[in-house]
Amino acid sequence: MNENIKVRVTNLSKQFGDLKVLDNISFDVLQGEFLCVVGPTGCGKTTFLNSVTKLYEPTSGEILIDGKPVDLQKNNISYIFQEQSTMEWYTVEQNIEYGLRIRGVPKVERRQAVDEVLEMVGLKGFRKYYPRELSASMVQRVVIGRAFATKPELLLMDEPYGQLDIELRFKLEDELIDLWRKTGTTVIFITHNIEEAVYLSEHILVLTNKPSTIKKRITNNLPRPRNVIDPEFIRLRNEVTELIKWW
Amino acid sequence: MRKILQRMAQNSMYAIISIVSFLLLWAIGVQLSDIKIVMPGPWEVIIDFVDSFIHPVGRYTMPVHILYSLMRVVPAYIVGSVVGITLGILMGWYRPINSIFRPIYELIRPIPPIAWIPISIVWFGIGEGSKWFLIFLAAFVPVTLNSISGARSVDPLLIKCGEMLGASKKHMFRTIVLPFSVPYIFSGLQVGLAGSWATVVAAEMIRSTEGVGWIIISSMDTNDVAQSLVGIMGIGIVGFLLATIMRNVEDRLCAWTVREV
Amino acid sequence: MRVDSTGSVDTVISCQRVSKEFSSKRGTTKVIENISLEVKRNEFVVLFGPGQCGKTTLMNVLSGLDTATSGTVYSLGEKVVRPGAERGVVFQSMALFPWLTVRGNVAYGPKARGFEKSVWIEKSDYYINLVGLKGFEDSYINKLSGGMKQRVGIARAYCNEPEVLFMDEPFSALDAQTRYLMQEEIMRIWSTEKRTIVFITNNIEEAVYVADRIILLTNCPAKIKKEYHIDLPRPRDYTSPEFLSLRDEISKNMDRTL
Repeated sequence: MNENIKVRVTNLSKQFGDLKVLDNISFDVLQGEFLCVVGPTGCGKTTFLNSVTKLYEPTSGEILIDGKPVDLQKNNISYIFQEQSTMEWYTVEQNIEYGLRIRGVPKVERRQAVDEVLEMVGLKGFRKYYPRELSASMVQRVVIGRAFATKPELLLMDEPYGQLDIELRFKLEDELIDLWRKTGTTVIFITHNIEEAVYLSEHILVLTNKPSTIKKRITNNLPRPRNVIDPEFIRLRNEVTELIKWW
Repeated sequence: MRKILQRMAQNSMYAIISIVSFLLLWAIGVQLSDIKIVMPGPWEVIIDFVDSFIHPVGRYTMPVHILYSLMRVVPAYIVGSVVGITLGILMGWYRPINSIFRPIYELIRPIPPIAWIPISIVWFGIGEGSKWFLIFLAAFVPVTLNSISGARSVDPLLIKCGEMLGASKKHMFRTIVLPFSVPYIFSGLQVGLAGSWATVVAAEMIRSTEGVGWIIISSMDTNDVAQSLVGIMGIGIVGFLLATIMRNVEDRLCAWTVREV
Repeated sequence: MRVDSTGSVDTVISCQRVSKEFSSKRGTTKVIENISLEVKRNEFVVLFGPGQCGKTTLMNVLSGLDTATSGTVYSLGEKVVRPGAERGVVFQSMALFPWLTVRGNVAYGPKARGFEKSVWIEKSDYYINLVGLKGFEDSYINKLSGGMKQRVGIARAYCNEPEVLFMDEPFSALDAQTRYLMQEEIMRIWSTEKRTIVFITNNIEEAVYVADRIILLTNCPAKIKKEYHIDLPRPRDYTSPEFLSLRDEISKNMDRTL
């Protein structure tokens, strides 16, 4: 097996009763890659994610990380969902520390990791604050900081910026790209928003409607930083839109 | 669909297992200890229970006792509920009505229905009147409380929405406040029903010659533990059936609160 | 034939020097400061501004759901003091009546105002059809998808045949693709049944797609920062250079919430 392949999904299918949601999906995610998954509304993107994280047992097929079946005890996988899931009763630093604590990381190392993350997400001056004292964008940074704190080998993001306005989204996306480049984490990012997928990704996986299969895997070589009004950007955005447009 | 059936089958299987193991524990416990002097085994009670449908306990058979008790519970429960719903909704929705009735209601609320037994006898005699009064209270108190909180919880946005659509206050009361409160009212009705059915036993202590409560009371005189347990079984089963009926009515009436895809 | 901000036939809704403050234990917060605006008949106006800038408060004041601390709102020359049937609202959280069917929700206004059954049936039929929900008349709300729910919200507001329709971030709970669909739909509905619409959004792409005029608000307290007349021909293309440069320009002028 190729050393560079971080995640290998082969013939993944998932069926709920008579409803086939995922149909024979196979793809690879390379080490350190930023992969975006897009598809029409209701195409089973979330089922896809939940199968990868073993929340659902796939009906058939297998998912390998580093050539071995996913084992949530061993593999360090972080998730970020759309809902802002900070723990309101913890301060910013306790939130970020949380994942490390449940992994039993010693205190000295925890402190160091938290300091590093606070620096990276620009919340150094806010370590003692509670989430509700922060603005929406800062809360998002806490969520991202918490996910990166454990140095995950795989980060799964399920439309984390779906409800944010454009300015804020752009800013957080830029920060995410920054973090991704600094840490070299492998990211699978699920979104409905085609512009966002084109902006972030190295590869785009386009899913079909249910039962979802892979319609196309697109390589996105646009140079960074990307510009949403660049004609090449628009061409790629329109190409993906054409592939999934149902509305 | 198959999933639902599967789950139902699983649930009833667990229910059967739990009941069977309870009876088994009971039987073994009675067999292995001295408790059998004061406690009959499960078979004895079940046989006695079935037998009570054929041979009268006291003057009547079990179904007739149950009917007598129901005749006490049902009318008083209905009156108590109707009064409770009306008063509760009005209290929850109109501030002045709340200010007037709240103090009295709060005083009555913590008093258990059986505390009223002596007064009810003085007021209504030892006939049906006092029993109805006690059951009325058992229904009225929780139904009122839940109706108040139902009317209080109406989403203010829906009221704004009604105003925006040009509805009068009266129209909104009928088309928004009432339907919104229905699920709350029903949880009050459930609590009230359980309370009423429990209170009938106490009410039948006052003086009666029939009813499931009487079965238990009279067993005290004869020291017949099995009869007492038969009465308890009757109360349990009827109470369970009433609650089930109520839940079905609620599901019918509040179909819109059930979220399913 | 615009006469003035209060009595003109052309002006459906207007406000003059409206401010709104909220008081709490910590003191008073000014949410809206000195806003004056006019909306002409059949105009599609978008109130656009950053996150929590007081757009919704402004809409509440304009529609009569809330009252201003100072300043006056006029609807067809009359002072607005309370909500009324001539000012319809589509809410962000939809605020549908879950115990009623689609028909019951859409016909709620005409029924409440005492129209005869034949009238409210006819009206609701027309608007249910207009928003594309034919065949769902007897469905309950919780069986519908997000997009369909907001169609009900739009039909309900339309069915009362108000002078002006306020829409408070009506599509913000929908996913990006359903949102595109609903933006196209609202354009189709509006061009079939022209109404005056005051539309609130924090999505600049949506604003440029639907608006005749975008009123850019500042961050809290909301003041009018700038106005843009959008003359792009409809239907608009989200990825045309003109569209994207307008989007970029307005977005750059928006106050940051960061």
